[in-house]
Amino acid sequence: MFMKQTKVLLVLTLALSLLALASACGPKTEAPGPGDNTSSTAKKFAAKGNEGTITGVVSFTGTPPAPKKIATDADPACGQKNPNLATEDTVVKDGKLANALVYVKEGTLADGSKIGDWGFDTPTTEAELDQDGCHYKPHVSAVMVNQKIKIVNSDPTQHNIHFTPKNNPDWNQSQPNGAAPLSHSFARSEILVPVKCNQHPWMKAYVGVLKHPFFAVSGEDGTFTIKGVPPGTYTVVAWHEGGATGTEKPMQVTVAANGSAKADFAFGEAATASGNPSLQMMPALEFPMMGQH
Amino acid sequence: MNRGLHRYTLLLAGATFFLIIAGALVTSHDAGLATSDWPLSNGQFFPKMVGNLFWEHGHRLVATTVGLLTIGLVLFLLIKEKRAWVRRLGLVALLGVIAQGLLGGLTVKLNLPLVVSAAHATLAQIFFCTTVSLAVFTSRSWTESRPTLEEQGSLAVRYVCLAAAVTIFLQLIIGATLRHSATWDKPLPTDLLLIHIGGAIAVTLLLATAAFMILRRHASETFLTRPAQLALSLLVAQLFLGIAAYMTRVASPNDPQPLNPMVGITVAHVACGALVFATTIVLTLRTFKVLRPSGLHQLSGRIAELTTT
Repeated sequence: MFMKQTKVLLVLTLALSLLALASACGPKTEAPGPGDNTSSTAKKFAAKGNEGTITGVVSFTGTPPAPKKIATDADPACGQKNPNLATEDTVVKDGKLANALVYVKEGTLADGSKIGDWGFDTPTTEAELDQDGCHYKPHVSAVMVNQKIKIVNSDPTQHNIHFTPKNNPDWNQSQPNGAAPLSHSFARSEILVPVKCNQHPWMKAYVGVLKHPFFAVSGEDGTFTIKGVPPGTYTVVAWHEGGATGTEKPMQVTVAANGSAKADFAFGEAATASGNPSLQMMPALEFPMMGQH
Repeated sequence: MNRGLHRYTLLLAGATFFLIIAGALVTSHDAGLATSDWPLSNGQFFPKMVGNLFWEHGHRLVATTVGLLTIGLVLFLLIKEKRAWVRRLGLVALLGVIAQGLLGGLTVKLNLPLVVSAAHATLAQIFFCTTVSLAVFTSRSWTESRPTLEEQGSLAVRYVCLAAAVTIFLQLIIGATLRHSATWDKPLPTDLLLIHIGGAIAVTLLLATAAFMILRRHASETFLTRPAQLALSLLVAQLFLGIAAYMTRVASPNDPQPLNPMVGITVAHVACGALVFATTIVLTLRTFKVLRPSGLHQLSGRIAELTTT
């Protein structure tokens, strides 16, 4: 009986060895997601010179949750560089909310075409994600599909950068202090990809991946500006982290030729979106963002 | 019986228990991917063990020690153990620890897929029970001649113990899957949680039945009553730890990082679960050693044979 068990375990061991080798040596490829307008078959968007802007302010009503102090005993280098390390999930100053991603979710251009039907050039400039003081800078950012993200470690300690997307492959890479910057990109759009450091489990960030360039992240004063938006009517969404999946606030926005549309959003207690009278309110909706693994 | 060999198996079982605690600390701290390398950590055998790398690399060092101890055990068995089946069980343990190491590497290289991580946690419990079984088989209490006892009553204690051991094993698989389904900052999946609670009820019923049957029917046989009492005590502790683990785990997504008491209690729950399983295995092995079917059982077995032919 034991000889049989031994044989079974031997086969299992060999199979696991092969799997481990295959996973360590095998090429890692990322296929573009369905519906992503990155293929050459999508109509290429060309600016006509009559594009407008969407501007606004993201507010926070009520009392924001107080930042929580982070214990850095496990890695003294973090505490030495950043003694006031605290959570950044709700950064509010004078009632204005930072780190909200505002983006065009869908819509129709003035010529009747859908925004999703168009393909947009991937920027050649790299976005940057820095690990500085054992937290990520920026905390929330966005890139276009296939746009490169330059990942920098400015800390005197080692990190690992771990993207945990739902629609793209999971990606984890160690980055010791002094190591050269890493580079990564996403082949599929995703709102939003959580980023974490398994070495320092308080470190969290979010990266939105979009098919078009019509997005912005609210600054410390809550303001944002989305430039180069073709005339049309769009569903503009403000996303902010919180809870398990984050919260979305959608709003209908009409951009006139060479015009500037305004879209103000509000999060927090009894928060509602508000803006100029031309804006149509839509109910807030929750959407699944983060996969569990 | 070789006393040195028995002590060595106890050392290995103790080291394996410590390894399970080290592994549970990795999971509770979400440290499994603190380095993307395997088997080295950040390209080094002795990296700077700061942050969560302390837990992940510490786990690897303890695992390496257990692996080396298992190789030592196989050699020890080859030299000192006369029973071929015990030597083979030692070889099974060695293959188990190799498979476990490879599973650990695989789950890191694949970024902790649920199936592989849960398999890694489950194989840890199987390996632990193999080492505990080896400690049982090499002990004096097992090798010395012992009078056999007849099963009493209509329900055989041996099979109730076996059912309890199998149910605990299934419960450990569910628990491992539950733990690896969500990190400390995410809510636990409700469906798995409910299955785990159901499993706890089933384990409680079966193990308590087995223990009380032994304590009532074979009260003077300390060979059986000691593991029965220990299993029962550990089960009670495990139930309280389970409730505490749930309460702290529900609150942990609001924390800025994995903190005590969540870390300590969830790790204690895993460790106590391993002890409940190991004690039940010891109990089951001992019942099969000393208990024999009673005349009533033999008669009912004979009737069953006749009715099926």
